[in-house]
Amino acid sequence: MSIWEKMLNLDRRWIFLLIGIACVVPFFTPLGLPILPSQEVVSIYDYMENLTTDNAIFVGFDFDPGTAAENMPMGVAVLRHAFARHIPVFITAYGPLGQGMAAMALDEITDEESDDYYVYVNWEDWASIREQGITDRAGIEEAWIAAGNTLSENAHGWVFEGRDVAFLGYLPYFHLVILGMSSSIASQYPTDIGGTPLEEMPMYQEHKSLRDIDLAVTTAGSSACVAWITYGREKIGLPVAFGVTAVMATDYYIYIQSGQIIGQMGGLRGAAEYETLLLRDGYTKSPGKAFVGMDVQSIAHLLIIFLVVLGNIAFFAGGFNKKTKLKGRR
Amino acid sequence: MKRSVPLAIVMVGGILFMIQYFIPHQHSQTLFDYYTEWAPIVGAFALVLGVGSLTRLHSHKIKRKAKNWQYSYAVLIPLFGIPFFALIMPQSLGGGMMESMGGDRLTQGVFDFAYMNIQVPIQATMFSLLAFYIASAAFRAFRAKSALATVLLFAAIVVMLGQVPIGELIGKWFPKVGLWILRYPNLGAKRAIGLGVGFGVLATQLKIIFGVERNWLGGAGE
Repeated sequence: MSIWEKMLNLDRRWIFLLIGIACVVPFFTPLGLPILPSQEVVSIYDYMENLTTDNAIFVGFDFDPGTAAENMPMGVAVLRHAFARHIPVFITAYGPLGQGMAAMALDEITDEESDDYYVYVNWEDWASIREQGITDRAGIEEAWIAAGNTLSENAHGWVFEGRDVAFLGYLPYFHLVILGMSSSIASQYPTDIGGTPLEEMPMYQEHKSLRDIDLAVTTAGSSACVAWITYGREKIGLPVAFGVTAVMATDYYIYIQSGQIIGQMGGLRGAAEYETLLLRDGYTKSPGKAFVGMDVQSIAHLLIIFLVVLGNIAFFAGGFNKKTKLKGRR
Repeated sequence: MKRSVPLAIVMVGGILFMIQYFIPHQHSQTLFDYYTEWAPIVGAFALVLGVGSLTRLHSHKIKRKAKNWQYSYAVLIPLFGIPFFALIMPQSLGGGMMESMGGDRLTQGVFDFAYMNIQVPIQATMFSLLAFYIASAAFRAFRAKSALATVLLFAAIVVMLGQVPIGELIGKWFPKVGLWILRYPNLGAKRAIGLGVGFGVLATQLKIIFGVERNWLGGAGE
């Protein structure tokens, strides 16, 4: 057996080992490679920058744990951006597992041990402020501070349940839910997942249907995101942005070109680009998980390319392109 | 009767909602709102059917000690156990589902525990394995055997390098060419496929609505 044939018959476990090392080592020795945001991501970011407290967005956690490594940083980045700008956010999930993903994202953002966290104020905790008839964002915060509440050093701000965020969660037949929400959000979600009536929430009183919503960002690991275009964008003109896995991203450039989505975060790279923009504008103090993950992806991609090139060299140098098959186990 | 009633429902419903889409009138909207409320209720019956069918299948497997019958327990126990803990068991005994955020969920029950510590890691692991298999498959199968395969190979390498920051350090043109491939050749091909699929779906749906295609009734259109 020639050296080329030995190379081509390389035990796959060596390849697995190399990939394993390539995936683990960069976590301990970060390269911190710079990331340049693409137009597809910048357009989402800029769109969000133009929204204010008077607007509202939907963030769909339309993915399962399988693609969380790619999709979760996207959802977290968009939520951070919205919370920083006090843009009310309705959080939904296309699938039952997505609801848990959304809860994990909120946990991450409200984790007091992180550098960039938000203090979550439960619906009941600011009931006294609502009873005074204060429902505007600035007034709520002013009254909250006047009540003696202060932010710790690492906290970016407060997130008031029902004013800044409504966690609606999962409902079955979600395409029908999107259709139904075009008439009334409360017709589909009478309460949030904690049982708080939507009708009582100030953010709902200002945004009662999808027609009052200014953007839907769907983070998806499947074609679930297309439902937002079919039933949201095309039926009522809802602006939609995608955050999809790298494998799927190639499928959705058609929607960018046709203007049906305002932008797309493609894979971990897209999430890292959004994180870079948040860091640049001071919305976060440190890069997020996607930024760190890009080092891993860089090394893994280089390794796979190296293996492909090596395989081709061995294939042609060994003259196997002229033979019908190799000897030995492949 | 068994066939004509479902066919009539599909035909009337299909035509009605096709027309409804283009009528911006209050009555049309009210009809549509009724539909969006009814459809999930009707769909809920499918859940009962699905759970019943799955239970019967796996309990038969266990009874008969069919091949890999032990795995049927892995289906049936969570199928009934998780809803039991989520919906019936009191919170003091580990029941209930996650309801709020901001630290309250730290006192998690069995449902949350199973989700966070079993389902999430299992799914993440399954997806992560792809990286290993793709690397191995690429090494063994990605060959420049023909002109088309060579184009594919180079396009893949350029896009892969264009998608990661290290690609830009190797050559400034990698991200630009990678994006160009995604924005133009890729877009053209995807649009062509999308249009083909779209017309196919439209034709199939019309065939179903007008009763030409009846396989969904069972019996292969007899």
